[in-house]
Formats: sequence, C-alpha cells, structure tokens
Amino acid sequence: MAESPSFKTDIIFKRLMAQYYDRGIAAREKGIPVAWVTAAFPVEIIYAAGLFPYYPENFGARVATKKAVERISAAAEARGYFSGLCAYARCAIGDVYSSEHPIGEILRPDLLFCSNAQCCSLQKWFEAAGRYYQAPFFLLDTPLIESTPTTWIKQYLVEQLYELLDFLEVYTGNSFDFDRLAEVISLSNEACRLWSEILDMAALKPAPFGFFDACFHMTPIVAWRGTEEAVYYYRELKNELEERLEKKIYVVPDEQYRLYFDHTPVWPRLRWFSDLFAKKKAVVVASQYTHSWVWRFDLDRPLESLVRNYTEGFINRGFEYRVQQIIEMMKEFNVNAFVLFSNRSCKPSALGLYDKYRIISQRTGLPGVIFEADMADERYFGEEDIIGRLDEFFSRLSREKRD
Amino acid sequence: MPARKTLKSMCEDFNKIVADPVRQLKRLKSGRTIKVIGWLPTDVPEELIHAAGALPIGIVALNSPAVACSAPHLQEWSCSLMRCALGMALDGALDLLNGLIIPLICDTTRMVTGIWKQTKPFVFMDNFLLPRQIDRPSAKKYLIGEMGRLKARLEQFMDRTITASELCASIVLYNQNRSMMRKLFAMHNRRPDILGNRNVYNIIKASMLMPKELHTNMVAELLQLLEEKVGENKVGKYKYNVRLILSGKVWEPPVVMDVLDQAGIVSVGDDFCTGYRYIANDVSETGEPLTSLADRQFKRLPIAAFAGKSKDRINSLTDMVKKNRADGVLFVHLKFCENENFDYPMLRDGLSSAGIPNFRLETEVGTHSEELFAQVMAFAKVLGRGGVVNG
Repeated sequence: MAESPSFKTDIIFKRLMAQYYDRGIAAREKGIPVAWVTAAFPVEIIYAAGLFPYYPENFGARVATKKAVERISAAAEARGYFSGLCAYARCAIGDVYSSEHPIGEILRPDLLFCSNAQCCSLQKWFEAAGRYYQAPFFLLDTPLIESTPTTWIKQYLVEQLYELLDFLEVYTGNSFDFDRLAEVISLSNEACRLWSEILDMAALKPAPFGFFDACFHMTPIVAWRGTEEAVYYYRELKNELEERLEKKIYVVPDEQYRLYFDHTPVWPRLRWFSDLFAKKKAVVVASQYTHSWVWRFDLDRPLESLVRNYTEGFINRGFEYRVQQIIEMMKEFNVNAFVLFSNRSCKPSALGLYDKYRIISQRTGLPGVIFEADMADERYFGEEDIIGRLDEFFSRLSREKRD
Repeated sequence: MPARKTLKSMCEDFNKIVADPVRQLKRLKSGRTIKVIGWLPTDVPEELIHAAGALPIGIVALNSPAVACSAPHLQEWSCSLMRCALGMALDGALDLLNGLIIPLICDTTRMVTGIWKQTKPFVFMDNFLLPRQIDRPSAKKYLIGEMGRLKARLEQFMDRTITASELCASIVLYNQNRSMMRKLFAMHNRRPDILGNRNVYNIIKASMLMPKELHTNMVAELLQLLEEKVGENKVGKYKYNVRLILSGKVWEPPVVMDVLDQAGIVSVGDDFCTGYRYIANDVSETGEPLTSLADRQFKRLPIAAFAGKSKDRINSLTDMVKKNRADGVLFVHLKFCENENFDYPMLRDGLSSAGIPNFRLETEVGTHSEELFAQVMAFAKVLGRGGVVNG
C-alpha cells in the first residue's frame, strides 16, 4: 500500500510550535502574565487584555502522544488524584510532582480562565490548579443549552463576560481595549474560516485530508486562534492541500470506505488507528471534535458573538442536538459507516454513546462500531478487543458493499 | 385513643419508607390523584414543586440491584448513584412518578438526562440548571431567572398558577420540617446512643420521600419520646467513643451508618446532600420568595459541585469539626465521583495540616458492610479511641 507523503507544512508547524513555547517562557521574563485557558474559552478577550494564553489540555494531549501518561499520572495518583479522573488533568497535575518531564515542564499560570461548556472536569481541575499555584481563577459558567438558549442564559453569559472584563482591568490595571479585541476577533475569524475550508476538503472523494491529519494540524486553531501565526499556518496548509489535490495525493490512495469518528482520537494511538484504517482502505472524513473550532464571530456585537459561538456549539448541547448534528455531518461528508469511541476521560462525549449508536443506526441505516478506551491513558486500551471489534466491523462493511 | 408508639416502632416506620421506595410510591399514590414529581440530588427547590400542588420525591432511596439494569446505557465507570437511579427507572420502579427534575451538577447528571429522555421518558422532565460559579453577582440574578423558568414549567404541567402566598406557605412548611430535624440532629449530637446514626439519617432521607406535613408531625412525636428517654438516663445499644464529621455527596450505601454505629462512631455533622446539609439552613420567610429561595442556595454548606471561594469547603469542614468537638473527618466518596475526587487531596491536606485526622472510604451503591467495617475500625484505631462495640 502506498503511503501518502508527509505534509511540507509539518516543518512550519514544528517551528511555530517551538516559537509558541519560547514566547510563553519569554512572556514571564517580560512580566506578561501567563493565563491558563480552556479550549472553548473566549481567548480573544485574553489576548486583547495583553496576557499570554496557555492551554494545559494541549499539554495533556502532547504527553499522551509521547506515550508518557502512565508515568506522569502516577505522580498525581500518588497524591490522591484517582485514575478515574480526566487523563489531561492527571498529566498537568502529575507534571508538577513528577521528576521527569518528557515534553518539558508545564507553564506555571499567573491566573486561570475556564469555561465549563466542555465539561465539569475542567472546572474542578482548574480550580484545583488555582489553589496549588495560588493564582486567581475565573470560571465562565455555561448552563447547558438543550434546545433554544433562553434569554436569561444569554444575559447570564454576557454579564459574566463583563465581569471578566472588570476582573482583567483590576488585574492588569489597564482599561480593556475593545479595538484590540476587534483585531484579535478578525484574526480568529480568518483562522476559523481557513480551518473550516480545510476540514471541508475531506468531503471530496477521494479525500485529500482526513480526521487523523486534522488531529495533527489542529493545535494552531486551538492554541493560536486570534494570532497572525494561526492565519499564516492555515493559509500554507490550505495551499499545500490544493497542490496535493492537483497531484492527486489522497489520504488513502484506494479509498473504499468513508467513516465518521466520534469524538477525540486516542492520542497515543493516532498513528495506530490511522494505519489500521488505511490498511482497510478506510478514511475518517469527519468528527464533531475537529469541527469544534469552526466559529464565525460578528465584529459588530463582539461580546454577544463570543457568547454565541463559545456556548451554543455542540459541546454545550444536549443529547438530541448532538445526535442530529452527527447525522447531518455524516450526510454532508457522505460516509458509509461510523465509529464511536467511548472515552473514559471525557464523560460528556462518552455517556450516552450506546444509545447514540442505536439511534444513529436507526436513523441512517448505516453500520457502526463502538469501542472503549481512554483518549490519553493506554492502561485502558484493550488492543486485542479493539482489533476484534474493528475486524468484525470491516467484515460487515465489506459484506454490505458486496451485497 | 390509639396506643402510644414506641421509639423502636417509630424508627421502623421511617426505615420502611427508605428501605422500599417503590412501596412508598405506591402508598403515596394509592387512592389519590396527586401528581408526584421526582428529583435527583441535589439542590432542587422542592418548595416550588410543593407550591404547584405536586408532591416532590427525592430519588435518594436506592434499590442497589437495579444498577445492573442501566448497564446497556451507562458505562460501568460512571457513578453508581446515577447508574442505580436510571436502572430503577428502567426496571419500572419509578413508573408511578409523573415527572422528574434533574439538576445539572456534574458531567454525569448533565449526560444522564439525555439517556433518560431516550429510554424512559416521563411526561414532565426538566433540567434544573443551577449556576456553578457562586461568587459573582451574575449568578444570583441568573438563578432567580432559572427558578422562574422552573416555576413556569411546573405551572404549565400542573395547569395552575403558583401564587406568591402559596409559595410562601410552602417555604414555611419546609422551614418547619428543617427546623424540627435540626432539633432531632442536635439531640443525636448530645445522645447518639438513643437513636444511632442509621435511624437519624433514615429520618432525614425519609423527609425527601413523604409529605412534609406528615414527616414533621412524626418527627415531633419522636422528639417528645426522645426527651423522655434522655430523662430516663438509660444507655443505648451502642457506646459511642468517637465523634466524626462526615463528608461526601451522599451516605451510600446506607450500611455505612450501620457500620459507624457498630464501630461506636457518631456522625455529628456532614455536608451530604442527603444528610445534615439538607436541613442546615432555612429560606427567609419575608421578601420575594424566588429571591429568598435563591439566597438560601448561596448560603448552603459548600459542596464540590459549585466553584466558589476555593477554601470555603475546607473552612466549612474545619468549622464543623471545631463547633461539634469532632475527633476527625470521614470522607464517604462514591467511586467515579469526579467532583469529590478532585476536591479530596485539598481537603485531606487542609485537614491534616490543621491537625484533624481524616480518612477516605470509597464506596459504591451496593458495597458490602464487611469491606467498610474493617476500614472504619482501622481509622477508629488511628484516632486512639478504639471504637468499642457495646451491643
């Protein structure tokens, strides 16, 4: 089987990534406060306030990719943080107590900003980190939006953003700069637009870009959103994808099956899954996870728009909304089947997955498979069981294709 | 005139209510047209449900074998409290409920609601969306709005308007019940040998499973009898040598309290959603009632679900230890309860540095007593008081 060549953009990624971490260290030396933020926090406000945002979730994913979670988590577990807790949190907490740092030390926060739209684990983790580092902690509390957001939920969220601005003004001693906010939002908009167009390329058949590629290339949209670097990076990546299309370079050269994958990848097994699917001539073309950062902000109503984008997406929605969005994505990306990952570290994505499996099967008539693991901690990765399930799944797909 | 009940038979009445929630539901519905609305722990404003003319019932008495019924829907690494509650519904144990309110206080309650709606929907189902930051002014304003939304939904379901005076009357009724139970708890604190932990905690739990008027009357009658017992100067079945504050979400499995009784340990306070925290404070009876209900929410004993001033919980536990002259703190944590597990190292270290001995029991709905007994006795020994069984 011919393997598609590496992306040239990988080199840019590595360079920008190193620069980002250098900037974090330099920030502290220059007296710029380091702010921990969660992936779905309106980071545009943090940039506009002149702080340096740092993403501990990304730190967890990187430790996982290095297959070092068990070692780092052990230090957290020895302190009483149990292995049932989110592995990203265990990595960040464990790193503080661990003598080894396989990806370098986590950047100490001067203050912490968390949105609980993704999950309650983040709220508890950041609260615990705030206590440890003796740093102020701001929680953007986002009540679940099941169907239509109510007026008082919207008001509550906007009011909290004003409270956030007050908090930042007191902390920095500067008036909040709305002009700078507009600049940052424009940069976010551009990066989100490019990211969306890149993800949409997976709808082409055969696909030049898939879910596992997106997992590799997503750090800029998560961690550099709101900067020139993110925009530059995705312009380069999009250009490269267009070149690859011209040269007919696809994810899987002889693409037979197109899959939907929910939700995060198993980070220490990214390559393992990618190779296994490629061997089966299957390409994962869509996932709610990588589409999480497809946002569009309205510069005329910046705060309201930040609220709408960051709190009304699927991550803060109920069961039915999530299922319906998955089904719509499956149609849009023209998939043959779906794979659901029951992730121990992510209850909001995992709980309810068995009923989602049943409903998606009923409503689409497409075959699916579900497997149990952890997005970061390989102790919960039952390789034999997962191979067995996937083999059976692909045999079913193959039979259905023949029939 | 009916014969006066004995202490034992009164305790047995409460025990029957909590031991068989299905039978209790049947009794409540038998020959009556009343609508019964269930709520999952915790912090659902029951006064609103009562004022709407329905009977609020806590899903707090659990049939542990029902955990298995939820297996096709909820992973085994989610908390057994929610697995059991959903399992009971799937098993038909909650069929007599007319509705259910699920407060979203953690990722499991947040997601179980969707599964419930798919697998065993009630005519009336509601997610009560409590604010989880409680420090800033926006939270109170939002909570009053959320209470108003719940009130409107209940009015629609019950096809009636809840007047301010009806809500005030419900608040008074609930305050009376809480006040009566606080008297009972204070007496337990002074003389644990008369009722014992299990009976006192059963009584608190029973108040979530029956009409408040009836419960208040039963507790008043019991208190009268207890006062006489205190005067008699007789010693009860167990001798209590150790005084502890308990901490966790719920005191599950109930056998935890039996184990403490057998080990000679008295719970003199707790922050359980189904324990002292449930009765610790009242709603103001003056002022706008929804605002008063919201005010109470922010004054309740701090728990892991709400992010507040980070040291509130450790301060609250330390204060409880001092005020109640407790010897230490026993954590009763449900396995896979992320909220409690994230708070635990901070609470453990905070208590230890204040010189307060503490110990963590990890339980699940249905854990056996032998496992718990050995651990509790080991902790009692550490405290140097033995924990002598006197029965």
